[in-house]
Amino acid sequence: MAGGPTVALDGFGAERGFEALAGGARMAAADGIRLRVFGPADRLGLARVDGIEVVPTAEWIGNDEDAVPAVRGKKQASVVRAARAVAEGEAEAMVSPGSTGATMAAATFGLRRLKGVRRPALAVQLPVPGRRVLFLDVGANVEVRAQHLVQFGFLGAAFSEAVLGVERPRVGLLSVGEEAGKGREGVGAAHALLGAAAGIDFIGNVEGGDLPAGAADVVVTDGFTGNVALKLMEGTAKAVTGAIRDAARSNPLAGLGGLLMRPALGGLRRELHPDTTGGAILLGLRGIAVVGHGSAGAEGIANAVRLAARCVEVDAVGRTAALLERGGATRGAPAAEPGA
Amino acid sequence: MNRDEVFELVRGHLAEELEVEPARISERTNFKQDLDADSLDLYELVMELEDRYGVSVSEQQAAQIETVGDAVAFVMEHAPA
Repeated sequence: MAGGPTVALDGFGAERGFEALAGGARMAAADGIRLRVFGPADRLGLARVDGIEVVPTAEWIGNDEDAVPAVRGKKQASVVRAARAVAEGEAEAMVSPGSTGATMAAATFGLRRLKGVRRPALAVQLPVPGRRVLFLDVGANVEVRAQHLVQFGFLGAAFSEAVLGVERPRVGLLSVGEEAGKGREGVGAAHALLGAAAGIDFIGNVEGGDLPAGAADVVVTDGFTGNVALKLMEGTAKAVTGAIRDAARSNPLAGLGGLLMRPALGGLRRELHPDTTGGAILLGLRGIAVVGHGSAGAEGIANAVRLAARCVEVDAVGRTAALLERGGATRGAPAAEPGA
Repeated sequence: MNRDEVFELVRGHLAEELEVEPARISERTNFKQDLDADSLDLYELVMELEDRYGVSVSEQQAAQIETVGDAVAFVMEHAPA
């Protein structure tokens, strides 16, 4: 992919250190993606790597800092500079493996929301074997209104179609029952608005068990519920794969069976690993912002950069804006007004 | 810079971002009650004012800005000469 997109990479914040971050940058650059890395040049060791420019940066924002004031106050912090690089046209997308809150704030303030978008939403591809299920919001908005959920449906559908290649994605609304009236007040109102919306294929409410079953291609919920559900799924997947490994080692016969199943299980484990999907993406902005998984290794960092580059290549932002407009789901559209 | 210029900037920003008719916005307009704006909308306005007029708005000061007139008055009072 020579001459591919340029991605601004926050060089701080990777839990597995500068080595993992630099390793991921090298892997992505080997694919032809150009990178501008904002971090400590001496620690990253990326000098003279083709396709990578290190922009020496000393300041950064940690997980323990209050994200919004930190982003507003630390104008030279790596994640703020990465967002600014996109806003000023020096890069086409940004990736940060650091503080999720700081990345969201830097991206939201730096890249700005798409016209008519009320709240950006954080979306992830769920670790569902053989499927491409997009789940949002997983943490950007703890409290949401019906109009937010409606827009999340449009944001998710546009991403699913443009980036994941799902044709006419089925959009579901997470609730506690399939019937339209089930769930909190905002969920009921969102159900009615989504049901009347043009341009997306709304299939109604889905329940928690439908997430790993892939009953919908896009599932929307509030950021609190989404974050709890995501962590539960990741934790369950990890516990189950660990239990399978332990069972396979429990006696010689089981060990033989485990050996025979190893290639298939290895593929499944890779599919379920958070590194594989490249992290979460902040949807609803005028640029691309990817939040790497906190514990990502080099492969996870590389996949986060690849995800950002792919979003640029398929014009995910432009296609999202077009779908919102077409569906009358922007803030000023009559169908999106409260009480509509 | 005079008060009318600042008001026009604030009104233009809000009309564009919130997709409302400029005529709906006066100095008495309340961000939350009249424009259905939330804290994120307000932060974006504050950052626009910081960039344009060189003012610095603390978290506490931002929380006290409730109307368009409050925002205009803040800039007039705190903008560097």
